[in-house]
Amino acid sequence: MIHSLDPRMNRLGLPDAPATAAAKEALDQFGTYEVFHQKKEGTPYVYVGPVHAPSADVAFLFAKEQYSRRFACTGLWVVPTSAITVTAYVGDQESAYDTLPLLPTSQAPTPPPIDDTAEEEAAYAAGEEDYDVFHLKKRGKAHQHVGKVRASSPADALQVAKAVFGEQRPVVNVWVARSADFLRSDDEDRDIWATTPEKKYRDAISYKVQDRIEKFKQEGLGQTEA
Amino acid sequence: MYGSASTHDQPTTATTGLENEDPILLAEFEARIARGEKIEPSDWMPALYRKQLTRMIEQHAHSEIIGSLPEGTWITRAPGFRRKMAQMAKVQDEVGHAQLLYSAAETLGKTREQMLIDLINGKSKYSNVFNYPTPTWADSNVISWLIDAGAIVNQLANAKGSYGPYCRALDRICAEEAFHLKYGHDAVVHLATGTPIQRKMIQEALNRWWPAIMTFFGPSDKMSVHTEILMRWKVKMASNDECRNQFLDMYVPKIWEIGLTLPDPNLRKNEETGQWEFTEPDWEDFKRVINGDGPCNAERIAVRRAAEENGAWVRRALLTPKMQYVRPLA
Repeated sequence: MIHSLDPRMNRLGLPDAPATAAAKEALDQFGTYEVFHQKKEGTPYVYVGPVHAPSADVAFLFAKEQYSRRFACTGLWVVPTSAITVTAYVGDQESAYDTLPLLPTSQAPTPPPIDDTAEEEAAYAAGEEDYDVFHLKKRGKAHQHVGKVRASSPADALQVAKAVFGEQRPVVNVWVARSADFLRSDDEDRDIWATTPEKKYRDAISYKVQDRIEKFKQEGLGQTEA
Repeated sequence: MYGSASTHDQPTTATTGLENEDPILLAEFEARIARGEKIEPSDWMPALYRKQLTRMIEQHAHSEIIGSLPEGTWITRAPGFRRKMAQMAKVQDEVGHAQLLYSAAETLGKTREQMLIDLINGKSKYSNVFNYPTPTWADSNVISWLIDAGAIVNQLANAKGSYGPYCRALDRICAEEAFHLKYGHDAVVHLATGTPIQRKMIQEALNRWWPAIMTFFGPSDKMSVHTEILMRWKVKMASNDECRNQFLDMYVPKIWEIGLTLPDPNLRKNEETGQWEFTEPDWEDFKRVINGDGPCNAERIAVRRAAEENGAWVRRALLTPKMQYVRPLA
């Protein structure tokens, strides 16, 4: 049996030389969700990373723990990785929109009119949906939310995004995902973000170690030695 | 914490396999890195780049998970409520870092299931320092301060590396580490400026840990295998000896200033060369321990395995049939 300095380990009665562990089954660690956070109210949502989770609700809880535990956060979105459509990655000076298939002018989408309720209702009735659009401005940085578009498919959403946001440069990579596929924190639940300031022991500045060192030096090294 | 720059089993020139790569794609790949752009998961990359990065990020992730065990064991016995809370927060951070790193490694194609099982079966390595025990609270403090400090030296260097997902993970990790370093320093200073018994306790812990700390950055460059290509590809950002020297430069003065000593009579800075001189660590012993024969190897793996196996039924219960695996994006 394993002998540990920690009595709790010893109580587990772990074997010294266990048999080789069998390979894990597929999806033992579940699928993944991609997570976006908002650092401050009114600022765009930014990609923070993935979490492995069995459902969107659990993904949200894991994401809150993983990505909002230490620093200010005012909102969180999670979306299944499989729901995101990704363009090619291009160089830091280029635009990923240039890699999309070119449509004949007659088919090229025009930016949808803003606040035109009648036209909006007709589009939704015809099967169009909202998509969220994210840009990566520089390789190695994080994707940032730039807005929503209305479209009939992910490929269409990319074309509409190009019409709406295509002037922005550089755009190294674009993600689009159906807005309905996101699980988002509610505004009325914003109290859940208020816990960080209570945890001062997690801040480097709450350790005033230099004061103690200075005092120790003034009193003279080794004075405390027996 | 806890990544150490040296990945074990680095390639030799004979095994780089570069002659099998498409020369045009390879040239474009190298040109991208040379002009300072990061590599993203869907980009073309040489097989060796993928293999070395996977191994390095995976080892880093395992080091975070295993490294949280010796400190985790002290949470319930940390002196006072505030230290318990802080120690718990730090351990939680380290486990969170492992999650970030496993995901970054996953973007290169190795599944998390495979990484977890390779750790349990001893196929993948982790930082060798965690194969040593933490018999006292002071030992835990030495890890919190100096092992974390060493890891930060590495991680700040690696955050300038060429692989996008690893950089994103490291930026976040480095931001969280600021508290660990201060917390660890505070804990060590508290004992070092305390009663004679406290001073003795921290000095003894430091003496126990110093040989392991000196091996933290991996074997000396003199004996380290060929890493030129990994430097050119910005997989490895600084040599083992450069990292070690930087660490000694930053932390030996801080150790001496609180009246502690280091158990190496040859440790001194050569003011002419700017390099620290020290007794060469026992690399044979290092090899022996990393290959499984250290005081805590079996315990670390057994504890990790028990956690993994005890959670299996929960994961099975939560699995839904329509779930599909897609590699994380970035």
